[in-house]
Amino acid sequence: MQHLANVTQLRPEPARPAIEVAALNHIYDGRDGQVPALENIALTVGVGKFTVIVGPSGCGKTSLLMMMAGLRHQTSGTINIQSRPIDRPDPDRVGVVFQEASLFPWLSALDNIEFPMALRNAPREERRTRATDMLNLVGLQGFGARYPHELSGGMKQRVSIARGLVQDPPVLLMDEPFAALDEQTRMTMGHELLRIWSQTAKTVVFVTHSLTEAVYLADEVLVMSARPGRIIDRITISLPRPRSYEMMGTEVFGRLRERIWQQIRKEG
Amino acid sequence: MRRPAPSTVRWLILAALLVFWELMPRTGIIPELFLPTLSKTLAVLVKDWREYASELSVTLYEVAVAMLIACGGGILAGALIGGVTLLRNLLLPVFSSLYAIPIVILYPIFTAWFGIGSESKIIFAGVYGFFPVMLSTAAGIRTIDEQLLLAARSMGATVPQQITRVIIPASIPTVLTGLRLGGALTIVGVVVSEMLTSAAGIGYLVTRYRTILDSPHVFGAIIMILLLSIAFDAFARAIERRTAVWQVAGRRRKEGEPADIIARPVQAAV
Repeated sequence: MQHLANVTQLRPEPARPAIEVAALNHIYDGRDGQVPALENIALTVGVGKFTVIVGPSGCGKTSLLMMMAGLRHQTSGTINIQSRPIDRPDPDRVGVVFQEASLFPWLSALDNIEFPMALRNAPREERRTRATDMLNLVGLQGFGARYPHELSGGMKQRVSIARGLVQDPPVLLMDEPFAALDEQTRMTMGHELLRIWSQTAKTVVFVTHSLTEAVYLADEVLVMSARPGRIIDRITISLPRPRSYEMMGTEVFGRLRERIWQQIRKEG
Repeated sequence: MRRPAPSTVRWLILAALLVFWELMPRTGIIPELFLPTLSKTLAVLVKDWREYASELSVTLYEVAVAMLIACGGGILAGALIGGVTLLRNLLLPVFSSLYAIPIVILYPIFTAWFGIGSESKIIFAGVYGFFPVMLSTAAGIRTIDEQLLLAARSMGATVPQQITRVIIPASIPTVLTGLRLGGALTIVGVVVSEMLTSAAGIGYLVTRYRTILDSPHVFGAIIMILLLSIAFDAFARAIERRTAVWQVAGRRRKEGEPADIIARPVQAAV
Protein backbone atom coordinates (compact mmCIF):
# COMPACT_ATOMS: atom_id res chain seq x y z
CA MET A 1 0.00 0.00 0.00
CA GLN A 2 1.29 3.33 -1.04
CA HIS A 3 1.66 6.09 1.51
CA LEU A 4 0.78 9.67 0.73
CA ALA A 5 4.16 10.85 1.94
CA ASN A 6 5.92 8.86 -0.76
CA VAL A 7 4.18 10.57 -3.62
CA THR A 8 6.43 13.17 -5.15
CA GLN A 9 4.76 16.09 -6.79
CA LEU A 10 7.22 16.19 -9.71
CA ARG A 11 6.16 12.96 -11.36
CA PRO A 12 2.63 12.65 -12.70
CA GLU A 13 0.59 10.72 -10.18
CA PRO A 14 -0.17 7.18 -11.21
CA ALA A 15 -3.87 6.46 -11.48
CA ARG A 16 -4.87 5.39 -8.02
CA PRO A 17 -7.95 3.38 -7.17
CA ALA A 18 -11.07 5.34 -6.27
CA ILE A 19 -11.48 3.44 -3.02
CA GLU A 20 -8.76 1.86 -0.87
CA VAL A 21 -9.57 0.11 2.37
CA ALA A 22 -6.65 -1.30 4.35
CA ALA A 23 -6.30 -3.27 7.60
CA LEU A 24 -9.77 -2.26 8.69
CA ASN A 25 -11.08 -3.69 11.94
CA HIS A 26 -14.21 -2.85 13.79
CA ILE A 27 -15.23 -3.83 17.29
CA TYR A 28 -18.41 -2.66 18.93
CA ASP A 29 -19.62 -2.80 22.50
CA GLY A 30 -22.34 -5.40 22.72
CA ARG A 31 -24.29 -6.62 25.71
CA ASP A 32 -21.75 -9.36 26.43
CA GLY A 33 -18.66 -7.24 26.03
CA GLN A 34 -16.75 -6.37 22.90
CA VAL A 35 -17.93 -7.92 19.66
CA PRO A 36 -15.63 -8.04 16.65
CA ALA A 37 -17.74 -6.99 13.67
CA LEU A 38 -15.22 -6.55 10.85
CA GLU A 39 -11.83 -8.22 10.67
CA ASN A 40 -8.87 -7.19 8.60
CA ILE A 41 -10.79 -5.87 5.63
CA ALA A 42 -8.68 -4.85 2.64
CA LEU A 43 -10.11 -3.93 -0.70
CA THR A 44 -9.55 -1.61 -3.62
CA VAL A 45 -12.02 -0.43 -6.20
CA GLY A 46 -10.63 0.97 -9.43
CA VAL A 47 -11.96 4.17 -10.93
CA GLY A 48 -15.22 3.55 -12.75
CA LYS A 49 -15.55 -0.04 -11.51
CA PHE A 50 -18.72 -1.68 -10.25
CA THR A 51 -18.05 -3.73 -7.11
CA VAL A 52 -20.71 -5.74 -5.32
CA ILE A 53 -20.40 -6.93 -1.72
CA VAL A 54 -22.43 -9.99 -0.71
CA GLY A 55 -22.50 -11.92 2.53
CA PRO A 56 -24.80 -13.48 5.10
CA SER A 57 -27.07 -11.26 7.18
CA GLY A 58 -25.30 -9.45 9.97
CA CYS A 59 -21.84 -9.89 8.45
CA GLY A 60 -21.19 -6.16 8.63
CA LYS A 61 -21.43 -5.31 4.95
CA THR A 62 -23.73 -2.39 5.62
CA SER A 63 -21.43 -1.19 8.41
CA LEU A 64 -18.51 -1.31 6.02
CA LEU A 65 -20.45 0.74 3.49
CA MET A 66 -21.44 3.30 6.14
CA MET A 67 -17.75 3.64 7.04
CA MET A 68 -16.89 4.28 3.40
CA ALA A 69 -19.59 6.97 3.46
CA GLY A 70 -18.02 8.57 6.55
CA LEU A 71 -21.24 7.94 8.49
CA ARG A 72 -19.66 5.54 10.97
CA HIS A 73 -16.16 5.22 12.40
CA GLN A 74 -14.07 2.07 12.26
CA THR A 75 -12.05 0.97 15.28
CA SER A 76 -8.82 0.82 13.28
CA GLY A 77 -7.57 0.85 9.71
CA THR A 78 -7.81 3.33 6.87
CA ILE A 79 -10.36 4.15 4.21
CA ASN A 80 -9.23 6.38 1.37
CA ILE A 81 -11.69 7.74 -1.14
CA GLN A 82 -10.09 9.53 -4.08
CA SER A 83 -6.75 9.18 -2.29
CA ARG A 84 -7.87 11.00 0.84
CA PRO A 85 -9.09 9.51 4.13
CA ILE A 86 -12.79 9.86 4.79
CA ASP A 87 -13.83 10.50 8.38
CA ARG A 88 -17.08 12.35 7.83
CA PRO A 89 -19.71 12.50 5.10
CA ASP A 90 -18.37 14.29 2.06
CA PRO A 91 -20.99 14.70 -0.67
CA ASP A 92 -18.34 15.99 -3.07
CA ARG A 93 -16.68 12.59 -3.07
CA VAL A 94 -19.39 10.14 -2.08
CA GLY A 95 -23.10 9.84 -2.82
CA VAL A 96 -25.15 7.32 -0.85
CA VAL A 97 -28.34 5.47 -1.80
CA PHE A 98 -30.08 3.71 1.09
CA GLN A 99 -32.16 0.59 1.30
CA GLU A 100 -35.57 2.04 1.93
CA ALA A 101 -36.06 5.06 -0.21
CA SER A 102 -35.14 7.63 2.40
CA LEU A 103 -36.84 10.46 0.59
CA PHE A 104 -38.23 13.40 2.53
CA PRO A 105 -42.00 12.94 2.34
CA TRP A 106 -42.70 16.68 2.57
CA LEU A 107 -40.64 17.48 -0.52
CA SER A 108 -41.52 16.82 -4.15
CA ALA A 109 -39.30 14.50 -6.19
CA LEU A 110 -37.45 17.48 -7.66
CA ASP A 111 -36.99 19.15 -4.27
CA ASN A 112 -35.70 15.86 -2.87
CA ILE A 113 -33.11 15.68 -5.62
CA GLU A 114 -32.16 19.31 -4.98
CA PHE A 115 -31.82 18.75 -1.24
CA PRO A 116 -28.02 18.21 -1.16
CA MET A 117 -27.51 21.35 -3.24
CA ALA A 118 -29.93 23.32 -1.08
CA LEU A 119 -27.85 22.39 1.96
CA ARG A 120 -24.96 24.27 0.40
CA ASN A 121 -27.09 27.19 -0.74
CA ALA A 122 -26.51 26.62 -4.43
CA PRO A 123 -28.35 29.19 -6.58
CA ARG A 124 -31.96 28.21 -7.24
CA GLU A 125 -31.51 28.31 -11.01
CA GLU A 126 -28.54 25.97 -10.93
CA ARG A 127 -30.32 23.60 -8.57
CA ARG A 128 -33.38 23.35 -10.76
CA THR A 129 -31.38 22.73 -13.93
CA ARG A 130 -29.16 20.13 -12.35
CA ALA A 131 -32.01 18.32 -10.59
CA THR A 132 -34.07 18.23 -13.77
CA ASP A 133 -31.12 16.74 -15.64
CA MET A 134 -30.83 14.04 -12.99
CA LEU A 135 -34.57 13.37 -13.09
CA ASN A 136 -34.31 12.81 -16.83
CA LEU A 137 -31.24 10.63 -16.40
CA VAL A 138 -33.12 8.23 -14.13
CA GLY A 139 -36.07 8.14 -16.53
CA LEU A 140 -38.60 10.15 -14.53
CA GLN A 141 -39.32 12.98 -16.95
CA GLY A 142 -42.46 14.78 -15.89
CA PHE A 143 -42.59 13.32 -12.39
CA GLY A 144 -40.71 16.13 -10.65
CA ALA A 145 -43.76 17.62 -8.95
CA ARG A 146 -44.90 14.28 -7.47
CA TYR A 147 -44.47 13.64 -3.77
CA PRO A 148 -42.82 10.40 -2.62
CA HIS A 149 -46.13 8.86 -1.52
CA GLU A 150 -47.37 9.36 -5.07
CA LEU A 151 -44.50 7.31 -6.50
CA SER A 152 -44.08 3.54 -6.70
CA GLY A 153 -41.22 1.81 -4.89
CA GLY A 154 -39.12 1.62 -8.05
CA MET A 155 -39.72 5.28 -8.87
CA LYS A 156 -38.73 6.28 -5.35
CA GLN A 157 -35.44 4.47 -5.73
CA ARG A 158 -34.87 6.23 -9.05
CA VAL A 159 -35.31 9.53 -7.20
CA SER A 160 -32.86 8.33 -4.54
CA ILE A 161 -30.29 7.49 -7.18
CA ALA A 162 -30.80 10.90 -8.79
CA ARG A 163 -30.28 12.52 -5.40
CA GLY A 164 -27.10 10.51 -4.87
CA LEU A 165 -25.77 11.69 -8.21
CA VAL A 166 -26.87 15.33 -8.14
CA GLN A 167 -23.61 16.70 -6.79
CA ASP A 168 -21.68 14.57 -9.26
CA PRO A 169 -19.58 12.65 -6.72
CA PRO A 170 -17.08 10.23 -8.30
CA VAL A 171 -18.17 7.44 -5.93
CA LEU A 172 -21.67 6.08 -5.41
CA LEU A 173 -22.35 3.76 -2.45
CA MET A 174 -25.56 1.73 -2.53
CA ASP A 175 -26.89 -0.17 0.48
CA GLU A 176 -29.31 -2.86 -0.75
CA PRO A 177 -31.17 -0.23 -2.73
CA PHE A 178 -33.58 -2.66 -4.39
CA ALA A 179 -34.17 -5.01 -1.45
CA ALA A 180 -37.68 -3.76 -0.81
CA LEU A 181 -38.80 -4.04 -4.43
CA ASP A 182 -40.64 -6.91 -6.04
CA GLU A 183 -38.70 -9.27 -8.28
CA GLN A 184 -39.67 -7.80 -11.65
CA THR A 185 -39.11 -4.22 -10.56
CA ARG A 186 -35.82 -5.27 -9.08
CA MET A 187 -34.60 -6.73 -12.38
CA THR A 188 -35.64 -3.64 -14.28
CA MET A 189 -33.98 -1.38 -11.75
CA GLY A 190 -30.73 -3.35 -11.93
CA HIS A 191 -30.70 -2.95 -15.67
CA GLU A 192 -31.52 0.74 -15.37
CA LEU A 193 -28.73 1.20 -12.85
CA LEU A 194 -26.23 -0.27 -15.31
CA ARG A 195 -27.45 2.15 -17.98
CA ILE A 196 -27.08 5.12 -15.60
CA TRP A 197 -23.68 3.86 -14.50
CA SER A 198 -22.44 3.56 -18.08
CA GLN A 199 -23.65 7.10 -18.79
CA THR A 200 -22.02 8.65 -15.72
CA ALA A 201 -18.83 6.58 -15.29
CA LYS A 202 -19.10 6.45 -11.50
CA THR A 203 -17.27 4.11 -9.20
CA VAL A 204 -19.99 2.05 -7.53
CA VAL A 205 -19.97 -0.13 -4.42
CA PHE A 206 -23.23 -2.02 -4.11
CA VAL A 207 -24.31 -4.16 -1.16
CA THR A 208 -26.91 -6.86 -1.78
CA HIS A 209 -28.37 -10.16 -0.62
CA SER A 210 -29.24 -11.25 -4.11
CA LEU A 211 -26.64 -13.41 -5.82
CA THR A 212 -28.27 -12.99 -9.23
CA GLU A 213 -28.17 -9.24 -8.79
CA ALA A 214 -24.52 -9.46 -7.73
CA VAL A 215 -23.39 -11.40 -10.79
CA TYR A 216 -25.56 -9.38 -13.14
CA LEU A 217 -24.25 -6.00 -12.00
CA ALA A 218 -20.65 -6.49 -10.92
CA ASP A 219 -17.18 -6.20 -12.34
CA GLU A 220 -16.02 -7.83 -9.15
CA VAL A 221 -17.95 -9.55 -6.36
CA LEU A 222 -16.54 -9.55 -2.82
CA VAL A 223 -17.91 -12.31 -0.61
CA MET A 224 -17.92 -11.68 3.12
CA SER A 225 -17.99 -14.23 5.92
CA ALA A 226 -20.42 -14.34 8.84
CA ARG A 227 -19.43 -12.23 11.83
CA PRO A 228 -16.74 -11.18 12.29
CA GLY A 229 -16.94 -10.09 8.67
CA ARG A 230 -13.91 -10.90 6.53
CA ILE A 231 -13.55 -10.94 2.79
CA ILE A 232 -13.33 -14.63 1.92
CA ASP A 233 -13.52 -14.51 -1.85
CA ARG A 234 -13.06 -12.08 -4.71
CA ILE A 235 -14.66 -13.06 -7.97
CA THR A 236 -14.07 -11.19 -11.19
CA ILE A 237 -17.17 -11.22 -13.36
CA SER A 238 -15.92 -11.27 -16.92
CA LEU A 239 -19.33 -11.28 -18.59
CA PRO A 240 -19.28 -8.77 -21.44
CA ARG A 241 -20.99 -5.41 -21.17
CA PRO A 242 -23.60 -4.20 -21.76
CA ARG A 243 -25.21 -7.00 -19.78
CA SER A 244 -28.50 -8.43 -20.96
CA TYR A 245 -31.23 -10.48 -19.30
CA GLU A 246 -30.38 -13.43 -21.57
CA MET A 247 -27.00 -13.78 -19.87
CA MET A 248 -28.72 -14.95 -16.70
CA GLY A 249 -29.56 -18.21 -18.43
CA THR A 250 -25.99 -18.94 -19.57
CA GLU A 251 -23.72 -21.54 -18.06
CA VAL A 252 -21.05 -18.98 -17.13
CA PHE A 253 -23.60 -16.96 -15.17
CA GLY A 254 -24.79 -20.05 -13.37
CA ARG A 255 -21.25 -21.14 -12.49
CA LEU A 256 -20.40 -17.72 -11.04
CA ARG A 257 -23.60 -17.62 -9.03
CA GLU A 258 -22.96 -21.14 -7.78
CA ARG A 259 -19.45 -20.27 -6.66
CA ILE A 260 -20.70 -17.36 -4.56
CA TRP A 261 -23.52 -19.47 -3.15
CA GLN A 262 -21.09 -22.19 -2.06
CA GLN A 263 -19.01 -19.62 -0.20
CA ILE A 264 -21.98 -18.10 1.57
CA ARG A 265 -23.54 -21.47 2.35
CA LYS A 266 -20.40 -22.53 4.20
CA GLU A 267 -20.83 -19.45 6.37
CA GLY A 268 -24.49 -20.28 7.06
CA MET B 1 -82.12 4.00 -5.03
CA ARG B 2 -78.92 5.92 -4.54
CA ARG B 3 -77.60 6.25 -1.05
CA PRO B 4 -77.35 9.93 -0.03
CA ALA B 5 -73.90 11.38 0.55
CA PRO B 6 -72.65 11.24 4.18
CA SER B 7 -72.45 15.03 4.36
CA THR B 8 -76.10 15.31 3.33
CA VAL B 9 -77.04 12.85 6.05
CA ARG B 10 -75.01 14.82 8.61
CA TRP B 11 -76.83 18.04 7.77
CA LEU B 12 -80.17 16.26 7.91
CA ILE B 13 -79.38 14.93 11.38
CA LEU B 14 -78.45 18.43 12.53
CA ALA B 15 -81.64 19.88 11.07
CA ALA B 16 -83.68 17.15 12.74
CA LEU B 17 -82.08 17.93 16.11
CA LEU B 18 -82.91 21.62 15.75
CA VAL B 19 -86.53 20.83 14.87
CA PHE B 20 -86.63 18.45 17.83
CA TRP B 21 -85.25 21.20 20.06
CA GLU B 22 -88.01 23.55 18.96
CA LEU B 23 -90.85 21.00 19.18
CA MET B 24 -90.15 19.14 22.44
CA PRO B 25 -90.64 22.15 24.78
CA ARG B 26 -93.40 23.60 22.59
CA THR B 27 -95.50 20.43 22.90
CA GLY B 28 -94.77 20.32 26.62
CA ILE B 29 -93.00 16.94 26.55
CA ILE B 30 -89.98 18.66 28.11
CA PRO B 31 -90.64 21.58 30.51
CA GLU B 32 -89.33 24.90 29.22
CA LEU B 33 -87.32 25.32 32.40
CA PHE B 34 -85.15 22.36 31.37
CA LEU B 35 -85.09 23.14 27.68
CA PRO B 36 -86.33 26.45 26.32
CA THR B 37 -87.43 26.45 22.68
CA LEU B 38 -84.83 27.18 20.05
CA SER B 39 -86.72 30.27 18.91
CA LYS B 40 -86.79 31.73 22.43
CA THR B 41 -83.10 31.06 22.91
CA LEU B 42 -82.22 32.75 19.62
CA ALA B 43 -84.49 35.68 20.45
CA VAL B 44 -82.64 36.18 23.74
CA LEU B 45 -79.31 36.02 21.93
CA VAL B 46 -80.43 38.72 19.51
CA LYS B 47 -81.96 40.92 22.18
CA ASP B 48 -78.98 40.81 24.55
CA TRP B 49 -76.25 40.52 21.95
CA ARG B 50 -74.27 43.34 23.54
CA GLU B 51 -73.95 41.48 26.82
CA TYR B 52 -73.02 38.23 25.06
CA ALA B 53 -70.50 39.97 22.85
CA SER B 54 -68.73 41.71 25.71
CA GLU B 55 -68.54 38.51 27.80
CA LEU B 56 -67.42 36.55 24.75
CA SER B 57 -64.61 39.02 24.16
CA VAL B 58 -63.36 38.39 27.71
CA THR B 59 -63.43 34.66 27.05
CA LEU B 60 -61.72 35.05 23.68
CA TYR B 61 -58.95 37.10 25.23
CA GLU B 62 -58.37 34.50 27.93
CA VAL B 63 -58.43 31.67 25.39
CA ALA B 64 -55.95 33.46 23.11
CA VAL B 65 -53.40 34.10 25.86
CA ALA B 66 -53.85 30.63 27.34
CA MET B 67 -53.29 29.07 23.91
CA LEU B 68 -50.10 31.05 23.49
CA ILE B 69 -48.86 29.67 26.80
CA ALA B 70 -50.03 26.11 26.09
CA CYS B 71 -48.70 25.98 22.53
CA GLY B 72 -45.49 27.93 23.04
CA GLY B 73 -44.58 26.21 26.28
CA GLY B 74 -45.76 22.83 25.03
CA ILE B 75 -43.76 22.95 21.83
CA LEU B 76 -40.64 24.19 23.60
CA ALA B 77 -40.83 21.65 26.41
CA GLY B 78 -41.82 18.88 24.01
CA ALA B 79 -38.90 19.63 21.72
CA LEU B 80 -36.45 19.52 24.63
CA ILE B 81 -37.92 16.38 26.13
CA GLY B 82 -38.24 14.64 22.79
CA GLY B 83 -34.80 15.66 21.62
CA VAL B 84 -32.62 15.30 24.71
CA THR B 85 -32.39 11.74 25.99
CA LEU B 86 -31.49 12.72 29.55
CA LEU B 87 -34.46 15.08 29.89
CA ARG B 88 -36.73 12.51 28.31
CA ASN B 89 -35.77 9.80 30.78
CA LEU B 90 -36.12 12.19 33.71
CA LEU B 91 -39.26 14.08 32.79
CA LEU B 92 -41.41 12.15 30.34
CA PRO B 93 -42.74 9.62 32.88
CA VAL B 94 -43.50 12.45 35.30
CA PHE B 95 -45.37 14.50 32.71
CA SER B 96 -47.25 11.47 31.39
CA SER B 97 -48.53 10.74 34.91
CA LEU B 98 -49.38 14.39 35.54
CA TYR B 99 -51.47 14.35 32.37
CA ALA B 100 -53.75 11.76 33.97
CA ILE B 101 -54.48 13.99 36.98
CA PRO B 102 -57.68 16.07 36.79
CA ILE B 103 -55.93 19.41 36.86
CA VAL B 104 -59.18 21.16 37.72
CA ILE B 105 -58.45 20.32 41.37
CA LEU B 106 -55.69 22.94 41.17
CA TYR B 107 -58.08 25.67 40.12
CA PRO B 108 -59.08 26.77 43.63
CA ILE B 109 -55.38 27.16 44.40
CA PHE B 110 -54.89 29.25 41.25
CA THR B 111 -57.72 31.58 42.29
CA ALA B 112 -56.11 31.96 45.67
CA TRP B 113 -52.79 32.84 44.04
CA PHE B 114 -53.92 34.89 41.05
CA GLY B 115 -57.35 36.18 42.04
CA ILE B 116 -60.69 35.60 40.32
CA GLY B 117 -59.86 37.77 37.29
CA SER B 118 -58.55 36.65 33.94
CA GLU B 119 -55.09 35.69 35.24
CA SER B 120 -56.23 32.58 37.07
CA LYS B 121 -58.25 31.41 34.03
CA ILE B 122 -55.37 31.99 31.65
CA ILE B 123 -52.91 30.12 33.82
CA PHE B 124 -55.27 27.26 34.56
CA ALA B 125 -56.27 26.80 30.91
CA GLY B 126 -52.68 27.24 29.78
CA VAL B 127 -51.55 24.41 32.06
CA TYR B 128 -54.54 22.34 30.97
CA GLY B 129 -53.72 22.69 27.26
CA PHE B 130 -49.96 22.39 27.75
CA PHE B 131 -49.84 18.62 28.25
CA PRO B 132 -51.21 17.31 24.97
CA VAL B 133 -49.08 19.80 23.04
CA MET B 134 -45.95 18.86 24.96
CA LEU B 135 -46.56 15.11 24.77
CA SER B 136 -47.33 15.04 21.06
CA THR B 137 -44.39 17.30 20.23
CA ALA B 138 -42.10 14.97 22.16
CA ALA B 139 -43.63 11.97 20.40
CA GLY B 140 -43.32 13.66 17.01
CA ILE B 141 -39.62 14.27 17.51
CA ARG B 142 -38.94 10.87 19.00
CA THR B 143 -40.58 8.90 16.21
CA ILE B 144 -38.74 10.54 13.32
CA ASP B 145 -37.45 7.96 10.86
CA GLU B 146 -33.74 7.60 11.69
CA GLN B 147 -33.11 6.80 8.05
CA LEU B 148 -34.07 10.35 7.08
CA LEU B 149 -31.48 11.80 9.45
CA LEU B 150 -28.86 9.36 8.20
CA ALA B 151 -29.63 10.36 4.61
CA ALA B 152 -29.37 14.06 5.48
CA ARG B 153 -26.03 13.46 7.18
CA SER B 154 -24.74 11.56 4.17
CA MET B 155 -25.50 14.66 2.12
CA GLY B 156 -23.42 16.76 4.48
CA ALA B 157 -26.18 18.33 6.60
CA THR B 158 -24.84 20.12 9.68
CA VAL B 159 -26.65 19.71 13.01
CA PRO B 160 -28.59 23.00 12.64
CA GLN B 161 -29.54 21.95 9.11
CA GLN B 162 -30.71 18.57 10.40
CA ILE B 163 -32.96 20.38 12.85
CA THR B 164 -34.43 22.94 10.45
CA ARG B 165 -34.64 20.79 7.35
CA VAL B 166 -35.46 17.34 8.73
CA ILE B 167 -36.57 17.27 12.36
CA ILE B 168 -38.94 20.24 12.25
CA PRO B 169 -40.73 19.41 8.99
CA ALA B 170 -40.93 15.74 9.94
CA SER B 171 -42.61 16.49 13.27
CA ILE B 172 -45.06 19.14 12.07
CA PRO B 173 -48.02 16.76 11.51
CA THR B 174 -47.80 15.27 15.01
CA VAL B 175 -47.30 18.68 16.58
CA LEU B 176 -50.37 20.04 14.78
CA THR B 177 -52.50 17.21 16.12
CA GLY B 178 -51.26 18.13 19.60
CA LEU B 179 -52.09 21.77 18.99
CA ARG B 180 -55.64 20.88 17.99
CA LEU B 181 -56.15 18.77 21.13
CA GLY B 182 -54.38 21.30 23.35
CA GLY B 183 -56.32 24.20 21.86
CA ALA B 184 -59.63 22.46 22.47
CA LEU B 185 -58.62 21.73 26.07
CA THR B 186 -57.66 25.38 26.51
CA ILE B 187 -61.19 26.43 25.59
CA VAL B 188 -62.59 23.85 28.01
CA GLY B 189 -60.24 25.12 30.71
CA VAL B 190 -61.26 28.74 30.29
CA VAL B 191 -64.99 28.03 30.22
CA VAL B 192 -64.89 25.64 33.18
CA SER B 193 -62.87 28.03 35.31
CA GLU B 194 -65.21 30.88 34.41
CA MET B 195 -68.10 28.77 35.53
CA LEU B 196 -66.45 27.93 38.84
CA THR B 197 -65.26 31.25 40.17
CA SER B 198 -65.32 34.48 38.22
CA ALA B 199 -67.02 37.77 37.45
CA ALA B 200 -66.83 37.79 33.66
CA GLY B 201 -66.76 35.60 30.57
CA ILE B 202 -69.21 33.41 28.75
CA GLY B 203 -68.88 30.60 31.32
CA TYR B 204 -69.77 33.11 34.02
CA LEU B 205 -72.98 33.94 32.11
CA VAL B 206 -73.98 30.27 32.16
CA THR B 207 -73.57 30.07 35.92
CA ARG B 208 -75.21 33.41 36.65
CA TYR B 209 -78.34 32.77 34.57
CA ARG B 210 -78.62 29.24 35.86
CA THR B 211 -78.79 30.46 39.46
CA ILE B 212 -81.73 32.69 38.56
CA LEU B 213 -83.35 29.87 36.53
CA ASP B 214 -83.26 31.87 33.28
CA SER B 215 -83.00 28.93 30.89
CA PRO B 216 -83.09 30.81 27.55
CA HIS B 217 -80.08 32.90 28.60
CA VAL B 218 -78.21 29.78 29.78
CA PHE B 219 -78.79 28.08 26.46
CA GLY B 220 -77.83 31.25 24.61
CA ALA B 221 -74.43 31.14 26.32
CA ILE B 222 -74.11 27.43 25.56
CA ILE B 223 -74.69 28.14 21.86
CA MET B 224 -71.92 30.74 21.94
CA ILE B 225 -69.47 28.25 23.49
CA LEU B 226 -70.44 25.59 20.94
CA LEU B 227 -69.82 28.00 18.09
CA LEU B 228 -66.45 29.00 19.56
CA SER B 229 -65.32 25.36 19.83
CA ILE B 230 -66.58 24.45 16.38
CA ALA B 231 -64.86 27.46 14.84
CA PHE B 232 -61.56 26.57 16.50
CA ASP B 233 -61.79 22.93 15.43
CA ALA B 234 -62.58 23.86 11.83
CA PHE B 235 -59.64 26.25 11.79
CA ALA B 236 -57.25 23.68 13.28
CA ARG B 237 -58.39 20.97 10.89
CA ALA B 238 -57.95 23.26 7.91
CA ILE B 239 -54.31 23.79 8.89
CA GLU B 240 -53.80 20.09 9.52
CA ARG B 241 -55.26 19.20 6.16
CA ARG B 242 -52.62 21.26 4.40
CA THR B 243 -49.94 18.99 5.80
CA ALA B 244 -51.99 15.81 5.57
CA VAL B 245 -50.43 15.04 2.20
CA TRP B 246 -47.40 13.55 3.84
CA GLN B 247 -48.73 13.01 7.33
CA VAL B 248 -48.74 9.24 7.04
CA ALA B 249 -45.73 9.13 4.78
CA GLY B 250 -43.55 10.86 7.38
CA ARG B 251 -43.49 7.75 9.50
CA ARG B 252 -42.07 4.38 8.67
CA ARG B 253 -44.42 2.33 6.58
CA LYS B 254 -44.29 -0.74 4.50
CA GLU B 255 -42.97 -0.62 0.99
CA GLY B 256 -45.22 -1.39 -1.92
CA GLU B 257 -48.30 0.47 -0.72
CA PRO B 258 -49.19 2.02 -4.00
CA ALA B 259 -50.70 5.47 -3.93
CA ASP B 260 -53.79 5.58 -6.09
CA ILE B 261 -52.09 7.76 -8.68
CA ILE B 262 -49.79 4.87 -9.54
CA ALA B 263 -52.76 2.73 -10.44
CA ARG B 264 -52.29 4.05 -13.95
CA PRO B 265 -49.33 2.13 -15.37
CA VAL B 266 -46.34 4.19 -16.25
CA GLN B 267 -44.30 2.93 -19.16
CA ALA B 268 -40.98 4.63 -18.67
CA ALA B 269 -40.77 4.17 -14.93
CA VAL B 270 -41.51 1.07 -12.95
